[in-house]
Amino acid sequence: MTQKILFIFCLLCIAISCGEDDNENQGYSPTPVSIVVPAIFSQLLPAPEIPINNPLTQEGVALGRALFYEKKLSADNTLACAGCHKPNQSFSDQRRYSIGIDGIAGFRNSMPIVNIAWNTNNKFNWDGSANSLEEQVLEPVINEIEMHNTWPNVEQTLQTDPRYVTAFSNAFGTSTISQELVAKALAQFIRTLVSGNTKFDNYLLGQATLTPQEEQGLAVFLDENRGDCFHCHGSPSNPLWTDNDFHNNGLDEDFTDLGLGDITGDPAQFGLFKSPSLRNLAYTAPYMHDGRFQTLDQVIDHYSEGLVFSPTIDPLMKTVAQGGVQLTPQDKAALKAFLLTLSDPSLASNPAYQNPN
Amino acid sequence: MFKKAAFLVLLVLSFMACDKNDDDQAQQNTPVSVGFLHSFYEDEVSVSSNTIQYTNGFGTSLSITRLRYLISQVSFTNQDGIKTLVKDYHLVDLSQDNSLTINDILLPPGAYNLKMRFGFTEATNTSSIYPDLNAASWNVPENLGGGYHYMQLEGRWLDPGDTPDEPYLYAYHTISAVQNPGPENTREDTSIEIDLGEITVTQGATQINVNMHIDQWFENPNLWNLSELNGLLMGNYTAQKMMQENGQNVFSLASNMGD
Repeated sequence: MTQKILFIFCLLCIAISCGEDDNENQGYSPTPVSIVVPAIFSQLLPAPEIPINNPLTQEGVALGRALFYEKKLSADNTLACAGCHKPNQSFSDQRRYSIGIDGIAGFRNSMPIVNIAWNTNNKFNWDGSANSLEEQVLEPVINEIEMHNTWPNVEQTLQTDPRYVTAFSNAFGTSTISQELVAKALAQFIRTLVSGNTKFDNYLLGQATLTPQEEQGLAVFLDENRGDCFHCHGSPSNPLWTDNDFHNNGLDEDFTDLGLGDITGDPAQFGLFKSPSLRNLAYTAPYMHDGRFQTLDQVIDHYSEGLVFSPTIDPLMKTVAQGGVQLTPQDKAALKAFLLTLSDPSLASNPAYQNPN
Repeated sequence: MFKKAAFLVLLVLSFMACDKNDDDQAQQNTPVSVGFLHSFYEDEVSVSSNTIQYTNGFGTSLSITRLRYLISQVSFTNQDGIKTLVKDYHLVDLSQDNSLTINDILLPPGAYNLKMRFGFTEATNTSSIYPDLNAASWNVPENLGGGYHYMQLEGRWLDPGDTPDEPYLYAYHTISAVQNPGPENTREDTSIEIDLGEITVTQGATQINVNMHIDQWFENPNLWNLSELNGLLMGNYTAQKMMQENGQNVFSLASNMGD
């Protein structure tokens, strides 16, 4: 008991000693905000994961939005994050490989970045190379074939812009701009990119009906003997439409890109890539980690007849010996019709996601 | 400043008001952790791997590339018969270290009977009601009975003497056994009660380890022929019943490892 009273007394002393600083920081009072969680997510999913050290605030999200569209992040002031993550493409890129500031193409397709706040395993990128969103957003800025900049240069450039000095001060209580704070602001904005207004979402809420063909496509998707898509790509119970895990889905016999295995060095993970969400497939072509398929029909054909064996192929690709699940033309058409119900036409026009600069 | 000081004074007063009972309670309870280990006969299985390094009772060589399973109703019953439910459910994933232990258990020292369940009971296996399991894509489609998976054990296999160009694949998935897969299916509870017997919680941190003898899934009492039963098992009622039978002797306290 005595020890506890002593502890509380110490707390009192600390409170008295730091009172002056509190007064100096009176101007820093960011307004907390929450992610707008779609109704179907509230019913079925855990709450979004927000790091304790980077809570969402109005000021932080607004700053992150400005930075997302800010071309000054690139070395020659020509490329913003939004250059390869476009709102009307579900924040991905319709080009197979995005082109960096030096005219050099990358080697993977730009990943859509919606519903990232529900990426519960905290592995980001096709190869899982980043362990947090704050870590992920740092890399493209200094990537030689993307923005080809340096963080000291970015910090210096932004520091000379009075708008950003004020914005950082409002968001983080300091006018000293650092890469860590840029990353925090970008992460805050990206976490607000939420897609939850599809025909199928509304169907689950009892506010829309599926056509007979779409219903048949859902049945194919959930049938272990036909599509068997649900093991990796969610289900009506998992509206993320991804397991956020890594798989080798039978694309190649030999790998030119090791994916997750390139990061971990584990041969058992060579050729594994993150399952992308099936949300917004209408806007996210081309498909696969390398954008090899231009159309959804090609994707379905791959799983139906195009699987090839490699040592790390996922055991869920159980029909690889036959080349795939051998869907009928009717099943293929139905599956495609269902998959297109997972697209959210309201995402691109959401005013909160537009370029504010 | 004044508000902070007033708050802290109130805090002191509240500590003084209720401190005695809290101290007694803190002395009574001690932290307990339940860990999950995995073995294939004598071999410890600690990571998933492509290497075909295990041989099951049928003589089939196999690898384990993935192992996830659901444990529910983890309870400790003391010698007075008072049962403490410490965890409603827990998803073990061999690839996720933080899933291999249940922490945050506090119990008074003493002797207990430890029980848990493999999978969900029929009453608790309700579709879509567990948000974290939904996000983990642990669900079972409604045409296969709905609810959730019990286990996903996956890998590659080879028959003795067989040298095909490509190893075969298996996906040993356990769920509630379902008859007539489709809209008119009927579901049967195939979860398994695991009675791990008596354990002792001592003052200070107590670690209890439960071992899954993976080899038993392929052996006892049903010798498992992977060339016949390697995939599409979710909708196979007979296979699910056989899995339930084989699961009866899969778990034990870790001191029994290698038995």
